[in-house]
Amino acid sequence: MKEITAIIRRDRLHLTKQALDEMGCSSMSIQSVEGRGKQKGDVCREIDPEMPDTFCTAVKLTPTPSTYAMEHSLPKVALFVPKRMVTMIVPDDQVEGVVKAIVQVNKSGRRGDGKIFVSQVEAALRVRTGESGDAAVN
Amino acid sequence: MIRAFIRPEKEQEVVLALEGAGFPSLSKMPVFGRGKQKGLQVGPVHYDELPKTLLMMVVNDEDIERVMAILQEKARTGFIGDGKVFVSAVESAYTIRTGEVGL
Repeated sequence: MKEITAIIRRDRLHLTKQALDEMGCSSMSIQSVEGRGKQKGDVCREIDPEMPDTFCTAVKLTPTPSTYAMEHSLPKVALFVPKRMVTMIVPDDQVEGVVKAIVQVNKSGRRGDGKIFVSQVEAALRVRTGESGDAAVN
Repeated sequence: MIRAFIRPEKEQEVVLALEGAGFPSLSKMPVFGRGKQKGLQVGPVHYDELPKTLLMMVVNDEDIERVMAILQEKARTGFIGDGKVFVSAVESAYTIRTGEVGL
């Protein structure tokens, strides 16, 4: 079994769920998280995905917390972008397909599309029946 | 993957320190939990679950030591309830924008 953690845009969650339903991997946990990536919490592209990557954040969105902090000589503020985190445990043979489906649905080619992490899961237990291993996941 | 349960009030300090050291990418979420002390007793009131912030970040293997050092330095107050850090293995990471493997 593998755990797939995908951090995706909020507005793509619905489409992602649909795509995974069609594949038959409909069990997942969804959590609302805040995150930041290499751009250190640039929210511009979250608001307008069509905005070019070279666009300067500070011009259009004033006051952002960081510009406000600079103007008022406050300590610097760390910015976060709201995201959705989807966690699912799938059998080994479905990992490839699920990752491909998530990438296909969430890919817009702009920064802020998110990341997918795959890690090993040692054991699983279905509480209702006491099944363990792959039987608990399916 | 590094999961750090820290005090909510230390979050900004930790995040900015990590950013300064070259690890700007992370996710945070508010969580409620308790530890060895089974919550907190303040007079007659017993708090069973205490608010913490969970920072989740994925870094390269060679950077784990540095991140742990920063977390310990910045999130530490010396009192009970500073939190815990858990490190687990991630097999692969994908960037959705490009569909490629790698951080």
